[in-house]
Amino acid sequence: MAAFEYRQAEEIRDAFARHGVRYLFIGKSGAIILGYPDTTQDAHIFPERTPSNGRALVAGLRELGFDLTDPEAVAIERGKDFVQLKNGPFDLDLVFAPDGIERFEDAWRRRVVVEGFPVCHPDDIIASKVAANRAKDRESLDRLRSFRDYWMQHHRA
Amino acid sequence: MSTGPEIPPDWRAEFEAAARRPLAQRFRYAFVRTYKPVLDDARFRSFESMEEYRQWCEDHLPDWLGYGRV
Repeated sequence: MAAFEYRQAEEIRDAFARHGVRYLFIGKSGAIILGYPDTTQDAHIFPERTPSNGRALVAGLRELGFDLTDPEAVAIERGKDFVQLKNGPFDLDLVFAPDGIERFEDAWRRRVVVEGFPVCHPDDIIASKVAANRAKDRESLDRLRSFRDYWMQHHRA
Repeated sequence: MSTGPEIPPDWRAEFEAAARRPLAQRFRYAFVRTYKPVLDDARFRSFESMEEYRQWCEDHLPDWLGYGRV
């Protein structure tokens, strides 16, 4: 499996738009879209957990080439908290209940759109990493907070 | 408004350099691929709760991957 590419992110954006999927890029992949200079291996999205969005998400993933069995599709439609997909053209994690973010609707209101990519606000990305409290996140939090400050200075509405 | 300490000059320089790059170029620099033992060995996993997922990471993944909670 090769590294996640810009073209593949565009394919997600376009396929999900066709199917009306509500989602946000989250985690370091989201921060990178916002301009954060760092490396990561995985793309993470935070989909809204509703039955209709779950069905749209499955349809979009199948269109992208993810080979989902019926039980796997059901797990996604139900919106299990965390789903790891390695059965498609690229790896993708679906995080329906990210730590540190109470409701999708709140994150959606705060979202930032970059070239059509809906992304969690830097404060939400940081909140989820703080709440997850993993060793690999701890190492990058100070730099991510500095990026948030830089980003806020340059992206005032 | 800045809420934290002053941005270190070397980080600020990196943020400014990144801001000058188009998104497609940032992707090329940012996304890398290496094999992650255990984690990459299944085509699909799902977890009912984030707690279940975090616990699974701690129980099954090598510590050096960094997925364990502090």
